Amino acid sequence: MTLRADHIAGGTAIAAALAVLAVSGDLPFGTLAFPGAGMIPKLVCALMILFGATLLVRGGASQPFSDIGWSDLPHAVRVLAITAASVALYTTLGFIVTMSLMLFGLIAFEGRNLIAATVYSVAVSLFTYGLFTIVLKSPLEQGILGF
Amino acid sequence: METLDSLMLGFSVALRPDVLWYGFLGCLVGTLVGVLPGIGPLSGISILLPVTFGLDATKAIVMLAGIYYGSQYGGSTTSILMRIPGEASSVMTCIDGYAMAKKGRAGAALCIAAVGSWIAGTFGVIVLTLVAPPLANFALRFGPPEYTALLVLGLIFLAYMSSTSLPRTLLMAAIGLLLGTIGIDNLTGHFRYSFDIAELGDGIGIVPVAVGLFGLGEILSTPSATVVGEVMAPKLRELLPNREEWRQSAWPIARGSVLGFLIGLTPGSAHIISSFLSYAVERKLSKHPEEFGKGAVAGVAGPESANNAASTGAFVPMLALGLPTGPVTAVLMAALIIHGVQPGPQLVNEHPDVFWGFVASMYVGNVLLLLLNLPLVGLFVNVLRIPYSYLYPLVIMFCVIGVYTVNNSIVDVWIMLIMGVLGYFMRKLGLDPAPLVLGLVISPTFELSLRQSLIMSNGYWTIFFTRPIALVLFLIAAALLSLSALALIRKRVDWRAKLAEAEAGEAAQ
Repeated sequence: MTLRADHIAGGTAIAAALAVLAVSGDLPFGTLAFPGAGMIPKLVCALMILFGATLLVRGGASQPFSDIGWSDLPHAVRVLAITAASVALYTTLGFIVTMSLMLFGLIAFEGRNLIAATVYSVAVSLFTYGLFTIVLKSPLEQGILGF
Repeated sequence: METLDSLMLGFSVALRPDVLWYGFLGCLVGTLVGVLPGIGPLSGISILLPVTFGLDATKAIVMLAGIYYGSQYGGSTTSILMRIPGEASSVMTCIDGYAMAKKGRAGAALCIAAVGSWIAGTFGVIVLTLVAPPLANFALRFGPPEYTALLVLGLIFLAYMSSTSLPRTLLMAAIGLLLGTIGIDNLTGHFRYSFDIAELGDGIGIVPVAVGLFGLGEILSTPSATVVGEVMAPKLRELLPNREEWRQSAWPIARGSVLGFLIGLTPGSAHIISSFLSYAVERKLSKHPEEFGKGAVAGVAGPESANNAASTGAFVPMLALGLPTGPVTAVLMAALIIHGVQPGPQLVNEHPDVFWGFVASMYVGNVLLLLLNLPLVGLFVNVLRIPYSYLYPLVIMFCVIGVYTVNNSIVDVWIMLIMGVLGYFMRKLGLDPAPLVLGLVISPTFELSLRQSLIMSNGYWTIFFTRPIALVLFLIAAALLSLSALALIRKRVDWRAKLAEAEAGEAAQ
């Protein structure tokens, strides 16, 4: 049997629904006259299992998983890693430093001129900080360095 | 007469210099958002959402809505000049718009797209003016069972209209509903799935989910090497179409306006579906269908009018019923709620200045957009010369700012990142993220109205079938579900399957 996109989607949905049901033990289902906090989540999980199973059974028409192109995966991983690192540092280092580093990192990895990337990153971060803080009166995060 | 008086009140609000300024700003940003590939109206609205915190509700919604319908105007520019859709709803414009540009009629194509958008947008606002207040009055009769039925119908309609399969759409909506249950249960006070993270007690916000799925997800799946294109510079003196081109565009604009508005009322990616359907209708009705794909004027006029009318039509259920039909209207609703204004049947009576000011601002906004899009087309084209490798980091930065500033919560930014990854994989598997966002948005209202209905009836499900409005809504939902199931069983190629094929074909080109 050929593994297809809908098989993956359906299987993942069933697994996710079962995982949610597993952590829903302490949520009361209640009665029809007085539904508890767990009623809707558990019913929705049941629906997810139903739709997931339908995808598994009827997945033959979807695209074979092996045909899906993954050429953009390195780009996605790179962007995600740099953005995640920036988010982790955001409240500590503040907007200007973190965003300058993030912009520089993303542009540098695209193979662009490093001097141009540095100038662009710092200028854009400073401009945006000024725009939000002074013009739009919507202050951005300040880090341990005080800006 | 009463409507006219109310509209006058709206114009007195919309034409105030400060409101006009924010409307202009929204239209300008919207046009830029539409012009730039990879940035959608949702990202634009989310980025500017925190900026509106210091404004009153009228200015905020006028500016944010300007971004939405402005992006529909701007999306045609890249489609016609570069054959790259600035917006998903401009995909069909690529075909004949670019073909017209290659024949030296780029200016005429841009003008027809702008004028068609203006006519459709204005038509949409006129119908909105007439339809929304009576609909809101009717909705005042709705209790919890009617709202439950309406929300179920909305989800089923979304699944029916979707170009992907029924189980896929309903699965996505179910995931959205489940995500919407995270946080404190309003009726019992139970913490649900918050895993001792205090920020999750308030639930998952729409903005981080929507920006992650649509904004970040798009960037993750678009390497800069794939964004190349030659920018064709239009000559300003060629902007006016000739008499024959005007004649050929008149009926497609009229048909696109009506079709787009009607589709805009329904849940889902209405502005995208409307442009595909309009293109199909025009090709079907044309005496020269062989010209489509080679620079047919109707292939530009119809879809561009339809997507604009659809974006206006989407405001009807949002304003009159308090129901979002898509992620963008969901975020606009969130913006209104943040400003203390609850969209829905009470909006017209409780906040007439906001409602009518917003409606009037759309009349003004459509004129502003026409003035912006034609003379300044050269300026917008220059924006397209910024390399994508410099542009997408900027978009990510604005996504982070936009999401963080809503609640000053870094947890929201992490949610955005997680949703970005989910959005990337959903694209790979051919799953549509729109139903997930809709499910998330309606989840709290759906749960509350369903549980209130059951409590009201002492646990009898029959309450949904003994109240006439709820019964009619459920019957419509059942009919739609049966039609979809029938197509699924027979494996019949209906119009939605054809639409999906067309979408896939265009995406591949």
